[in-house]
Amino acid sequence: MTARISAALAAMTVLAGPALAQETITYELWSRQDTSGPLRPGNVVKAADRLNAELEAEGSDLRVAVEIKETPAPGFDEDALQLARVYGIGEGPDMFIQAHEWICTFQQDGFLLQLDDYIAQYPEHFGTIFPSLWDSTRCQGGIYAIPQDAEARMFFYNKQLLRQAGYDEEFIQSMPERTMAGELTMDDVIDIAKTVIDNTDAQYGVLHRPSIGPDYLMVFQTYGNDFVDPESGDLLLDQAALEAAFGWFERAVQAGVIPANNTSMEWDAIRAEFYANNNAAFWMYGIWDLGSRAFPTYGLPEDEEAFFADWGWIAAPAAEQGGKPSTLTHPVVYAISADVEHPDLAVRLLGHASAADLNTDHAVTTTHIGIRQEQLDDPRYQEAWPLARATELLEIAKYLPNNPQFGDLNRIIYTGIQGVESGRLSAVEAAEFVIDEATGTLENVIVR
Amino acid sequence: MTALAEEALIARGLARKAARRRRANFIIFLGPAIVLMVIFFIVPVLIDIAVSFTDLGRALRITEVSTANYERIFAGDTRLTQVVALTAIYVFGTLALFNVGFGLLLALVTAPLNPVSSGFFRGVWLLPRMSPSVLYILLWLWVVDPSPTGLLNQILLTVGVVDAPLDLKTSAPVMLIIISNGFIGASLGMIIFTSAIKGIPVHLFHAARVDGAGSLSIARHITLPALRWPISFITIYQALSLLVSFEYILLLTEGGPFYDTTVYALYIYRRAFEGGQYGYGAALALFLIVIGIVLALLGWRFFDMKKLLQSPRIEVH
Repeated sequence: MTARISAALAAMTVLAGPALAQETITYELWSRQDTSGPLRPGNVVKAADRLNAELEAEGSDLRVAVEIKETPAPGFDEDALQLARVYGIGEGPDMFIQAHEWICTFQQDGFLLQLDDYIAQYPEHFGTIFPSLWDSTRCQGGIYAIPQDAEARMFFYNKQLLRQAGYDEEFIQSMPERTMAGELTMDDVIDIAKTVIDNTDAQYGVLHRPSIGPDYLMVFQTYGNDFVDPESGDLLLDQAALEAAFGWFERAVQAGVIPANNTSMEWDAIRAEFYANNNAAFWMYGIWDLGSRAFPTYGLPEDEEAFFADWGWIAAPAAEQGGKPSTLTHPVVYAISADVEHPDLAVRLLGHASAADLNTDHAVTTTHIGIRQEQLDDPRYQEAWPLARATELLEIAKYLPNNPQFGDLNRIIYTGIQGVESGRLSAVEAAEFVIDEATGTLENVIVR
Repeated sequence: MTALAEEALIARGLARKAARRRRANFIIFLGPAIVLMVIFFIVPVLIDIAVSFTDLGRALRITEVSTANYERIFAGDTRLTQVVALTAIYVFGTLALFNVGFGLLLALVTAPLNPVSSGFFRGVWLLPRMSPSVLYILLWLWVVDPSPTGLLNQILLTVGVVDAPLDLKTSAPVMLIIISNGFIGASLGMIIFTSAIKGIPVHLFHAARVDGAGSLSIARHITLPALRWPISFITIYQALSLLVSFEYILLLTEGGPFYDTTVYALYIYRRAFEGGQYGYGAALALFLIVIGIVLALLGWRFFDMKKLLQSPRIEVH
């Protein structure tokens, strides 16, 4: 946890005398190796040059450097546990990149720098960031992180398979609108997927991620699980709503729509079944998968019209006709350690990393949604049609709760899904399992 | 000074020297073992006991010292019964079917063969133990891959035994972890049993043949009685090693689906390192130590190991 002074520069200082005294502060940035966002740390490195130029112009003798510490965790949840241990033994980095719902876990233990005053102090860096995004960085009323990107999650669907299964063009093309209007329901998704399996060679109806993460929580949200009590901020579990959500997974597995071994399938195998092999009707994931995998790896058409001819996506449909559809946006954020050296410089560094042009580089190369108003006017951003189209979903998007224990609860929920899909638990038992595990291992859990 | 007194002095000097040498020998020969045992066994157990009374969590901070972890083990943890039952099935199943049963079968079948073929067969069965665990499990993952391209499915589908590809990781996960661990465990038993069989004086076999005994009765009346000590040893040793090892299961099934293949040792790992509940994991681990010691003592008593250790069972002239 130390910003180090370069020995070489110190030696130079001695030789050159006080007139050229220059101090370089090296910030260690903890970042998970992630092909869906290499510019998250990359932009911070570029930002160091901009900040140094600014410091030089100001006549300051301080300079910054960034040292990236890449970690091999397969997901943000695993990475957060590792990072917590590193902080626990006093070896935490100066700043890190994480999924927003983990921030309060670190804040709770006093590891994070509160940013409210800095955000107000540097409006040139933070003034135009979408106000709603800051909600994903708050813990107990204070801001503890800087939004890095946003996205939307959805059910992608394969229009070719739906056509083969006998659905007419009008039905297929109107699915997104009918979902947004609350006409299409979660059980309709099961029915459509079942029809595809029965009438085509496709083997799978709906596939979802084989690891812990946010997308499947859309299903829980649609069935009325908010997971947090708005008054106290404590975790809230509603047995009936949990049963309803697990019931959807149960019906889908019983109909042969979700494979019983979905949670033990390989990521690449799942993507190949959906994008390459025409073997799955739906794939529950997120918009960035187009830019990071579907286009480059599986050769899906990058042209908007060509893409929507054979592929499409819908939000998570409503639980019942007339209900509300849902989607999740899951911002990734930058956070700074409480004991960082020169916190103002650390904040300015991340401010430069959040510059519109740099953030647009990240957004358009990995199809993530930008963080500020002026990015929307950037021609590059406008050309990246998946972004504009995904932004349509944001009006119904919600965040995961910023509760320090939510990551733990999500692990339990995922295990419950695995129990239901593999036939070890019924929906009712899965709801009981989640309540039982959560009340046994977490604190202040309200059960309704 | 009289000669007697001088002698007494010399004798005392010698005795002191001998005592010094004994102490030096003790330090030289037993010291390293004792130091290692203290550092790697006693100290970790003491740390484990201390941690088990705390609420050490994800951020490695202790805010409370209490017996809450033990209360949870005895009253609150609903998964524990299933985990303990599965561990019993896994340890007993792997031990009986493979580590002792299959190991014995391999030894009995290969021992009478000529040295080249028996060496070859034993070498083949040693391969799983020699391969790195990650590589060994990677091969298993390819064999039981649930898609039609998995090795096992390719064979079964071609032969026509099944119509649809099998997914053993979902449909028979316990069988899978027993077999994958058993293939490794069988080789140790095989080697020990083979060497014990080779140690049986050949004239006993000749005499039995002269008396008209067949292969089966030779195995039953001569070979097996001579294997009592190795069988006892392998049973206790492998039971303890199966109880605490979980790396192959973690790599193959990750303890799933759900908790189906989460044996006790893996359960501790999942609680402590996946859930970040180090205090509770330490309390669970303490019981594993206790179970291990009890099992070892029971085995000692049950197989009468003390007697077996005293004198060689087989006289070789």
